[in-house]
Amino acid sequence: MTPHVIVVDLGFGDAGKGTVVDRLCATEPVAAVVRFNGGAQAAHNVVTPDGRHHTFAQFGSGTFTPGVRTHLSRFMLVDPLALAAEAAHLASVGVPDALDRLTVDAAALLTTPYHRALNRARETARGAGRHGSCGMGVGETAAYALARPDDAPRAADCRSPARLRRLLALLRDRYYAEFPGGAPVPPVEDCAAAFLAFGTRVRQVDSSFLPELLRSGPVVFEGAQGVLLDENHGFDPYTTWSTTTFANAETLLSEAGADAVRLGVLRAYATRHGPGPFVTEDPALTAALPDPHNGTGPWQGVFRVGHLDEVALRYAIDACGGMDALAVTHLDVAARRPDLLRCTAYTWPAPSGPEHVTRLPALPARELTARLLRARPVYAALGDAAEAAAEIAGAPVALRSHGPTWQDKQVAAPLPHG
Amino acid sequence: MGSGHWSTDVYTAAENYRRSTGASAFAYSDSGAARTHPSLDPKGVVLRESRDSDDHPDSLAIGVLFDVTGSMGAVPRALQQKLPGLLGLLLRKGYVTDPHILFGAVGDATCDRAPLQIGQFEADNRMDDDLGRILLEGGGGGQMRESYELALHFMARHTALDCFEKRGKRGYLFLIGDELAYPQVKAREVSKVIGTRLGADVPIEETIREVQRLYDLYFIIPEGAFHTNDRRLRDFWQDLLGQNVLYLDDPEAVCETIALTVGLGEDAIDLAAGLDHLAEQGSAAGPAVSRALARLDASRGAVVRSSAPAGLDPGAGPAATTRL
Repeated sequence: MTPHVIVVDLGFGDAGKGTVVDRLCATEPVAAVVRFNGGAQAAHNVVTPDGRHHTFAQFGSGTFTPGVRTHLSRFMLVDPLALAAEAAHLASVGVPDALDRLTVDAAALLTTPYHRALNRARETARGAGRHGSCGMGVGETAAYALARPDDAPRAADCRSPARLRRLLALLRDRYYAEFPGGAPVPPVEDCAAAFLAFGTRVRQVDSSFLPELLRSGPVVFEGAQGVLLDENHGFDPYTTWSTTTFANAETLLSEAGADAVRLGVLRAYATRHGPGPFVTEDPALTAALPDPHNGTGPWQGVFRVGHLDEVALRYAIDACGGMDALAVTHLDVAARRPDLLRCTAYTWPAPSGPEHVTRLPALPARELTARLLRARPVYAALGDAAEAAAEIAGAPVALRSHGPTWQDKQVAAPLPHG
Repeated sequence: MGSGHWSTDVYTAAENYRRSTGASAFAYSDSGAARTHPSLDPKGVVLRESRDSDDHPDSLAIGVLFDVTGSMGAVPRALQQKLPGLLGLLLRKGYVTDPHILFGAVGDATCDRAPLQIGQFEADNRMDDDLGRILLEGGGGGQMRESYELALHFMARHTALDCFEKRGKRGYLFLIGDELAYPQVKAREVSKVIGTRLGADVPIEETIREVQRLYDLYFIIPEGAFHTNDRRLRDFWQDLLGQNVLYLDDPEAVCETIALTVGLGEDAIDLAAGLDHLAEQGSAAGPAVSRALARLDASRGAVVRSSAPAGLDPGAGPAATTRL
């Protein structure tokens, strides 16, 4: 039987997890896609062979394949408002039953308009020191739940009107307490009405659901963001409030007594959306390789492009404890750009003179970030990007992607069983 | 990463979830119901109230009553769809701080199953629920009259508004229809439909004057409706309400018309500013609303708005006309 697969991005995001998940679901008998981190700020672009496009944020990127379900696990931060809009767009591109194929763990945290307003007000207040937040309130949702676990709204609360209204009112009050002159937010009643509609419409399940789902057929665990943005391993403070490695998915699998193949996704060149260290950034590439689905966002900032970074890749692979196979995307772009390079090492200043590093040292998070901001890349010719990645990862390249649709992806090696 | 791609509007979300269930916004009516929903039944209702609260200290009552017979059934459906837009305009553009909106429906007390349906004044999405429970009548009697006078009687005698009682400020009442009223509020019908006793029938002019103590009253005639081009229709309402009869050549633009009328009435905007707001919202209703309100807008400069209702001074203004 086809194994379960966990799909994780080994860079700063935007490697092409969505299109890889779409490929897996279009060609294998996948029962469901499970989201295990992040929230509505994910943006996984999928283009169908007949030219339809959808940016998957909360629905699994396999949704274009009829019958593939989406399950939002308890690690997911669910935004009911954005979910409704996403479902409406899916309907407009020929997928009318996305909500029917959705389940949500009743324990999943909810992102509200008040979290979003807090997020934006806080990021605005940072001025030039912005973290590159997406402005969707996901980090605020995580922070609030840590600070006030009993007051953080969860999916189950959308079935208890009185409790829901109370929790929403607390959040609204907190927002106005912190930002008295903050931008207006919707009234609690209006927000509650929409959340209650979500509670009525979307099927909620408890922890017994996922083990059953895993027994019903192969499941793809779709990660959000990238390992280099991980809350613990990313380059502080330019991180996302989310565990972006395989860890959450493996927790869910082990609870169910199951396991999965660990698939790392990598672009043939590097990208980063928003501020933060990016050693191989190349303004010429940023200008030459704009991303069709990633413009400059009002909250994240610019989309930046650079060269394949072996040092960062090594770091990412270590951070997530290795992997079983790789999927390398954008090989078509690499084939057209003979000027693409691979960064084999960094040099950075040290008291005793410039240091040459191929592996990042264990340093306090802020110190590491400070070094990276001063690091210079040491380049070699790119050669075959997939082979370089496979060598570093010590894992085979299972999938090579030469274009946007699932049909542009070639199986280079069968997925090893996890 | 990061999309910010999907709209996170609360009203759209609620509507999307509802629509995605396959249920009609008028689930009650469309499910084959044959009588007034209990929550909209005026029988035995003493008062529908628009009261200030901690959340809404500066309430302003807005009543919207429409004819639900025959061809007019499309109006409530358009209203339902555009309700978020109406609220959005009123609130976000600052026309009104705390609108309380009541929806109701007018039929024919001589023959309809649901001659009068009256919701509550609501400040939130519950008004949506009231709309959803309205029974949309099919036919229409053919006598070119509906019981608007009965609805007006209810609004005059069975509503209480804090905006008026506490601040001396009238609310707004919109009737939307394409027929005449009956000339008298009949005591027999009041007893049957509302459950109160009237000593005698009351002429509609008197009822309108009572309503106008509490509300700025407008009658909206959607063009293309059954009797729109009948001269008698225009004369009838114009004699009673003067410039407050609005001719709307796009029935889909009812929401926008109401919003801008309130904006004009509140002196929050002039017509040009309101039309800009519509364009900003991506509404295509601008031209229709512009034509409907041009006359009202033009007369605003000349009309002195006093707290004394138009028509109470003998001979002052069209509402005093009693020609029938």
